[in-house]
Amino acid sequence: MGYLFVLPWIIGTLIFVLIPLGQSFYYMWYNIRITPLGTKFNFVGTGNFTQIWLENPEFPQQLVTYIWQTIVEVPIIVVFALIIAIMLNGKIKAKAFFRLIFFLPVIIVSGPVMNMLVSEGASTIPAMNTQAVISALDAFLPTAVATSIGELFGNMIMILWYSGVQILIFLSALQKVDPSLYEAAKMDGGSAWECFWKITLPTIKNFILLNAVYTVIFLSSNEQNQLINMIKNAMFSGTKEKGYGYASAMAWMYSIVVTLIVLLFFLILGNKRDVYDRMVAKRKRMLKREARLAKRIERRGARNVRKLERARRSHKYKTYDGSGDY
Amino acid sequence: MKKKRIVAALLTVAMAATLLTGCGKSGNGGSGKVDENGVTTDNITLTYWHYEDETTVELMAEAFMKKYPNITVECKQIADMSTDLSAAAAAGTFPDVFSGTDSDTALANMYWADITEYVENDPDMDNMMVSIKNYGIGKFDTDHWYGLPTWYQPSAIFIDRNVIKKLNLEMPRTDWTWEEMIQLIKDATVDDRSGMKYYGLGFYNRLDSLYGIAACATAERAIKGEFGFDGNDFDLRYWAIGEQEFGDLQTGGYVAPKQDSQAMEDWSGDWGTWFGSTGHVAVFSEGFWSYQNIWATDGYQEQYGLDIVPYVTPNVVDEKDHNIIANMYIGGVSTSCEHPYEAYLLLKFMGIGTEGWKARLDIYEDESITNASGVALKHSNMPVPMTLDTEVWDRYKAMFPTDADHKPYWDDYFASITRPVPYGWYSIAGYWNFCDQYFNNIGIHELVDAGQAKAADYAAEATEQANYYHAEAMISYFGPDGYDVLSDEDLAKYQAVVDSFGQ
Repeated sequence: MGYLFVLPWIIGTLIFVLIPLGQSFYYMWYNIRITPLGTKFNFVGTGNFTQIWLENPEFPQQLVTYIWQTIVEVPIIVVFALIIAIMLNGKIKAKAFFRLIFFLPVIIVSGPVMNMLVSEGASTIPAMNTQAVISALDAFLPTAVATSIGELFGNMIMILWYSGVQILIFLSALQKVDPSLYEAAKMDGGSAWECFWKITLPTIKNFILLNAVYTVIFLSSNEQNQLINMIKNAMFSGTKEKGYGYASAMAWMYSIVVTLIVLLFFLILGNKRDVYDRMVAKRKRMLKREARLAKRIERRGARNVRKLERARRSHKYKTYDGSGDY
Repeated sequence: MKKKRIVAALLTVAMAATLLTGCGKSGNGGSGKVDENGVTTDNITLTYWHYEDETTVELMAEAFMKKYPNITVECKQIADMSTDLSAAAAAGTFPDVFSGTDSDTALANMYWADITEYVENDPDMDNMMVSIKNYGIGKFDTDHWYGLPTWYQPSAIFIDRNVIKKLNLEMPRTDWTWEEMIQLIKDATVDDRSGMKYYGLGFYNRLDSLYGIAACATAERAIKGEFGFDGNDFDLRYWAIGEQEFGDLQTGGYVAPKQDSQAMEDWSGDWGTWFGSTGHVAVFSEGFWSYQNIWATDGYQEQYGLDIVPYVTPNVVDEKDHNIIANMYIGGVSTSCEHPYEAYLLLKFMGIGTEGWKARLDIYEDESITNASGVALKHSNMPVPMTLDTEVWDRYKAMFPTDADHKPYWDDYFASITRPVPYGWYSIAGYWNFCDQYFNNIGIHELVDAGQAKAADYAAEATEQANYYHAEAMISYFGPDGYDVLSDEDLAKYQAVVDSFGQ
């Protein structure tokens, strides 16, 4: 019965993920023209890739911008979500209302609504002088880095809007932390600050990775992403060079970059053992080593006994008094 | 528990079935019988996709169905041409007839069927505006017709007579030249620091677009398309002059700020003001639609103190008859259409045909008919007839000011728009690719407008690029891998341009 329940998901994955994945892999080696009389495939090998890299200056530019923005924005979104989640998890009045407020953007600003809001300038804080921020950063950072960070300030509202789901995930994680740990820490004189670093953060560290990965995927696939729009436009472009094959090549290169970014965050935030875990492991390793040494000594002793016995029997071994008896 | 299982199983089957819905394709056969005019007597359905006002097209379709009761027409407004059509082609639901804005997409994917036989033998085509047949708008510089104009609006220069009066200037003659227009723009730019500045020009269409057609006498170069295109190749030196002149006007402070800009807020006090409503702009390089859609709506001109009259887009040389740049959607019969002749009749009825225009005028003249926005249909992007039929034109002109004060301007204007030349993306193969992959990427408009570059410096390279993209597109669309209608000589000619590119 369980399989029946997951059947729609399996069918969906098969039809809408695996088959298109295979198809796009096949398509990327072809120039494809979809005419009303049928689809024409023309094998071009790596032609789509060379076309993208050599004749489409926008793609590499956008790719670099995307990589940089994602690496900068993900920590900001995750940290912001964590702060809000901690606040919402505290003892405040109208908690449910505030939770609703922070989750509302997830429902409201999806897809076209977000596009409309951005086009109306709703993603920026008018009072914030982005240029001043860039000038200030420019004094001690390379211009490209300063500009990117400055632009981040210009886009601050939107970044904060992207935090709804992450807040929800952090909230559920925070509610799973055993309250007795905090009680024990407080009894030992631990401050809230210490509790956060010693209890909260280590306990929810897996969720930080989860949220980071979620944010990377979200930033990589939402409608505000220029690369997604570029791939979509290339896919439906009627021009001879573009089309499904060209878009597939772009999409595969892009997906490899996204995977690398996810891996990067996994390496940074992946499950690392803390000092206690490391000490336990060290102790275990030491005990194992000692056990191995003891076994080795035991084996060596037994071997020596057998050797002595053999020597005694063959009378090659004699005691000091010459009797051969112990 | 058993009940739950049954419900779950049913739900699962329903979901799986939903996923697989829409994979089918329907078709319609027929007896193949035709009437004395060659039109099928079978009951058929034609699909028509378009960019026009939905209500207008639905009413036009009803008029067509009244004439051909056995033909059902289903209409759909296109949201995005390449997206909608490529999705339809992939799904096997391609329309029988469609009107498009980007001919490269249609030609690259062989969306349009060859309709030469129908066009060449159609007596209605003899009564069309001369440039349509002479330049072969829809032939794409081949000997074959693949499309016909379906919707036409010329470029237009409008003048606010009240501003001219306030500034004590003379109204120019209606058959003015380009130079006279530029001079008026400069004369009408007045900033006496005592109030809101008067600007000579407010623009929607950049002047360089208009200049490309108006740049020289036909004897010098027979320009029939943007960027100095004469049917064989481009010459962007003409464009560069217009581009530079327009850039100089902008840097010189003769051009009114755009809507939704800080400059507009500084000038008018409101970020969202449209310069056309300020009463402080003399000349407008606007879309033709601005008149009926905005200025001609009830009380608009009175409210803002305007008195708008149209002027012909001027030419550099003082030639009375000259081409004008125009928006001209091109429509065609799709290659997958099972009833191409009937589809051609529909295409003609919806766009260029005299009979269709008479039906259209019936719709526009009845101002009680409104669209979904509650607007009378003539105020919703009403096009201009392409037929020269007198009855059609008399009725059409009657929808514009007919009082003695304004009528002469409109008569002169309408007399001047009978030689339309479409923007490049409608009628020149490879033009859109050139703009998309080269021209728009160099940001020349912004550079020249800001005074950071000279347009002439880009002319030679841009000409070479434009010719390359055009030649490559001609080979691709009309060569052996496409429609295969080019002669060996033509193929060699285009191949030589491609081969010489970049050397």
